[in-house]
Amino acid sequence: MKVDRRSFLGLGLGAAAGVAVTPATWKLMDDSSIWTQNWPWTPVPPDGEVTFEDTVCTLCSGNCGISVRKINGRPVKIEGTTGHPVNDGGVCLHGISALQYLYDPSRVKSPMIKTDDTWKEVSWEKALAHAAEALGNIRKADNANAIACITDNDKGTVSGLFKRLTTVLGSNNYYTMDTMEKAWATTIDAVNGVKAHVGFDLKNSDLILSFGSGFIEGWGAPVYNFQVNARRKTHGIKLIQVEPRLSNTAAAADKWVPAKPGTEADLALAICGVLITKGLYNKKAIQADDPSFKAFAKMAQEKYSPARTARTTGIDVASIQNLAMAFADAEKPVAIAGRGKGDSAGSTREFAAVYALNCLAGNINAPGGFWLMDKDPAEVWPSIEMDAMATQGFARAKFVETDTVDSLMAKVTASAKSPVEALLVYNANPCYSLKNAKAVTEAVKKIPFVISFSSYMDETTQLADVVLPSHMFLERREDVSLTGPVPLDITALTRPMVSPLFDTRHPGDSVLSLAAAMEGSVAASFPWESYDACLEAVKAPVWKALSEKGSVVKEPVSLVKKIERMDFSLLLNDTAVVAAEGDEATYPLVLMPVDNIRLTGEIAASPFAVKTVSDKVLKGTDSFIEINPETADQLRLSQGDEVTLTTPVGSAIVKVNLFDGIMPGVLAMAHGLGHTMAENPYVGGKGVNVNALVGPVMDAISGLDAAWGIRAKISRV
Amino acid sequence: MSELEEKTENGSTDSLEMGVSEEQKAEGDSGIGAGVLFFIAAFAVCFLSGWLLFPNLLYSKKEQPFNFNHALHVEEMGGCDSCHYFREDGSFAGVPKLAQCVDCHAEVMGDTEDEAVFVAEYVEKEKEVPWLIYSEQPDCVFFSHSAHVVGAQMDCVSCHGHIGESTTMKPYEENRITGYSRDIWGKNIWGFKKNSWDRMKMDDCAECHEKETGSKGACFQCHK
Amino acid sequence: MTQQNHGNAHKFGMVIDLDKCTGCGSCMVACMSENNVPFKEDESNKKDSITWMRVYKLTNGKSFPDTDVCYLPRPCMHCGGKGDHGHSPCVSVCPATATDYDYGTGIVSQIYTRCFGCRYCMGACPYHARFFNWWDPKWPEGMEEYLSPDVSPRMRGVVEKCSFCFHRYQAAKDKAYLEERDTVAEEEYQTACTQACPSGAITFGDLNNPDHAVHQLVNPDPHHCGRPRNPKAFRLLERLETNPKVYYISEREWVRKAGDNYLDGEWEKAKMKKTKGHE
Repeated sequence: MKVDRRSFLGLGLGAAAGVAVTPATWKLMDDSSIWTQNWPWTPVPPDGEVTFEDTVCTLCSGNCGISVRKINGRPVKIEGTTGHPVNDGGVCLHGISALQYLYDPSRVKSPMIKTDDTWKEVSWEKALAHAAEALGNIRKADNANAIACITDNDKGTVSGLFKRLTTVLGSNNYYTMDTMEKAWATTIDAVNGVKAHVGFDLKNSDLILSFGSGFIEGWGAPVYNFQVNARRKTHGIKLIQVEPRLSNTAAAADKWVPAKPGTEADLALAICGVLITKGLYNKKAIQADDPSFKAFAKMAQEKYSPARTARTTGIDVASIQNLAMAFADAEKPVAIAGRGKGDSAGSTREFAAVYALNCLAGNINAPGGFWLMDKDPAEVWPSIEMDAMATQGFARAKFVETDTVDSLMAKVTASAKSPVEALLVYNANPCYSLKNAKAVTEAVKKIPFVISFSSYMDETTQLADVVLPSHMFLERREDVSLTGPVPLDITALTRPMVSPLFDTRHPGDSVLSLAAAMEGSVAASFPWESYDACLEAVKAPVWKALSEKGSVVKEPVSLVKKIERMDFSLLLNDTAVVAAEGDEATYPLVLMPVDNIRLTGEIAASPFAVKTVSDKVLKGTDSFIEINPETADQLRLSQGDEVTLTTPVGSAIVKVNLFDGIMPGVLAMAHGLGHTMAENPYVGGKGVNVNALVGPVMDAISGLDAAWGIRAKISRV
Repeated sequence: MSELEEKTENGSTDSLEMGVSEEQKAEGDSGIGAGVLFFIAAFAVCFLSGWLLFPNLLYSKKEQPFNFNHALHVEEMGGCDSCHYFREDGSFAGVPKLAQCVDCHAEVMGDTEDEAVFVAEYVEKEKEVPWLIYSEQPDCVFFSHSAHVVGAQMDCVSCHGHIGESTTMKPYEENRITGYSRDIWGKNIWGFKKNSWDRMKMDDCAECHEKETGSKGACFQCHK
Repeated sequence: MTQQNHGNAHKFGMVIDLDKCTGCGSCMVACMSENNVPFKEDESNKKDSITWMRVYKLTNGKSFPDTDVCYLPRPCMHCGGKGDHGHSPCVSVCPATATDYDYGTGIVSQIYTRCFGCRYCMGACPYHARFFNWWDPKWPEGMEEYLSPDVSPRMRGVVEKCSFCFHRYQAAKDKAYLEERDTVAEEEYQTACTQACPSGAITFGDLNNPDHAVHQLVNPDPHHCGRPRNPKAFRLLERLETNPKVYYISEREWVRKAGDNYLDGEWEKAKMKKTKGHE
């Protein structure tokens, strides 16, 4: 038999025919088409039983109730808790994104020590011993007061433990970050001489006169305010927004009053003047014959007459009078202040002027008004024990009199050798969120030993020597007190939604173990076995309700009866005026940082949140500045042009975004960009941190940072 | 080569022009004969491997962690829903979790080797049993047990067959290409179906839907 | 295609009050989180940024200080197509039957495993509501943990879009079946964006059910394919006759006008017609 072409043909045909009458071909065709639909690398999320567990979101001071949806115990989604007094089912984009913070692979996964600029993961024992040794050496050198501590606020047991640790180590240098709540508190203290929490009963008001507050852009308790805003349509609440830029709040308002930047206090005082002149103030609330009121009235009427104020603010006389009439005609008007999200402090003059408006309306602690509240923290702390080193250190003078990190950093900058020898930072990121962030970064670099308790490698933690990483809030139990300006007194309990993912610790436990590693009597002031035990003991007065219900909601205690004086004399002082830094000749424009609800400050926004940011705020790695087309025309700039933005503090290359809604001559730049977190490319290395371009202005009365902007110039690249 | 070509050429010319001579026929026969032989051989090899070898190659066989006797459990516990139940939210719990089994099997209660393995390896170690699920649909499929079992009053057998009467667990067969279970793809390699539970592909769902509801249904009804 | 239960079918739709919307972005993130929408390192190229729900910023075009801004959230419109017969622009062009119109709910589906990525539907959609997966989704290490089993993650080369959270309807129906109920209550089936909106600007429900809030808000005209009878309500590009199931409400005329591309004088005529039609 010869093997020829036909044989091969036969072979081929035979094979084809043979296969054709078997299922193989058809099945393989079907299988391979299915195979193309099921790439092995496309994840298949496991299914299972759906459960919901409630906790509290602590990403901002709003403390919304959140429900975590779990599949077989695995958290997959965050939703708002229906019926919660703050947010009733609503939730903001950052709260929904909290799982991205939880599962973030760039979290600090274990304690770390930095040697020669290189991080090394170490055991908790080693990290604690290292930190304790450094702190111990400072104490032994009779310099305990050189240990400073910064936390976001001083509410709750964890902050309490940090403050306690600072004290028993022998230092009075405990500071909290600035917020508008702090600025309100200092203002009320200056005017009335009482220590108060403020709250605005916006839900029940009928006119909200807002002086630059980003009422629906993250101000105060954001979701609470969104819901107030939604009620406006059905409950006839009017909103008037005073601001030089058409923010989302201004756009949503019934009336937008574009006063020149930095003249909000003038406008508020002019309205006060008109109300007093026309006798349109609440005469029960104000004692007209009181000499301090008389002086205030005279000043408001004369120095801030509508004619004069029209020139300063750019708002015409009739409009000022109409504003005053609208405020007087309203049954339950309320005036609010605290710029943008209220994440920084502000000018005491501005807060006092707005407070004066509320006092004239007689709405203090009235429904729909301005509430001064006494909030009992309901905490019992055992007494502390101070050894000789501690007593000696604590007796020394505090580095800066006011509780402000800006001043502390300024002091470090000004000294050849940093007076702070060790810094503990918890829940704060001063190297990013303080104004003139570059100078703050340099100051922190001068501090010989920095301990960070952060879960993330943020700007401040990058400069630390030791990181004792904390569980993030979804991994821990902790009491949180609502600090946002809401007329509610709520203490809630966060609950662990998952077992900690990494080798982190509860910050409370970190404090306890750090204290235990110290020599002397430090540990004696921390008699608890664990943070959980401490929480239960310290919160004993409300523990039953807190642990069973997850929150304690109390009627806020009014402070109105405690007010003995109402003294607005601080407004008589011209030094209280806060001007923008820089001279007009060199810097013809004014730059204002603006808050954007889709971005955050201190901790970088999540990948989801960054994804929602407009391409006219961030494009690639470029930040934009908003500029009025008229101003842009004068400077021969058009949309998307690259420019160098220069201020007395720094300069940056940014892109131009033309926006009709911004006052000519004013530039606006979104706050919250420019995080340097290199390990997280989804949120880091994007845009410019506006805080690096604006310097702080210490308020003459409170000492808090009152800067609202800075003078600037731009030139084509 | 050239000789061969010439011959073929001659052959074909001849057959065209003058018909086929005996001599040439014989020559040609041997060529065709080889071709046919090759054809038959190749056909046979491919046919047989397509029917016998391919189905075995296509599926990998995996054994369950240990044997499970459905019949025994049905006898002891009652209907299917005593273990395969609906959750309160209407979703179907599917294969029981360890916690459910522990209700009875906290300790060894029978004398089978399988139960001993179960208690020693899983109950005591608090480890879920990694059952291989014969009727596991791919991720793109949404299937509502409540719509079929409660809504349409179908019985389990219609789709799952008489698994409740089985005393042993058959090996789990996984399609090497698609990763699907053979019970989804169909036991019969040619795709013939004798019983309603022989296969669980989209066409099978559509067939029944068309018969019962008058429409194959919209895509989202079964896809996610 | 048969039109099953056309008489008593549901017609799920959405009404968005643009005067309540603050542009906060909760709806966008709620949607991403609910539907396993992936993210990339750079999402500032909005042409390839997958956002089933996208909030657009509209301006009235006037100069300072008469400028006004409005935010407009845009999910998939789930168009009924001309005559509301289910011939949505995208469904009509899909060569793979990877997207279809469900006559029982009025929802336009998208089946990822069926789609082969020709993107005709994207070209056909006048609302830019469809997105193409140019890359395989990639979650940072460990973040796959939060993926939900209710929506299957997509692969490279397919189109995806808003489903009105159909899986939530499925879940609600599951419960209804178990409780031997025929119907799903209004509050049982709500989309993730509706639920998350802190302003309550989004309302969702059955447009065919007069008891549902969506019906009451827009008062759809059954003789004109659901055209809103509420003069403050409008649908995007109404004149294309795509018959969307997403309605917008605004007291501001310029916002309503922005809902379509009117030539000079056309808006006035349209307004006249609308008023006459309701007399």
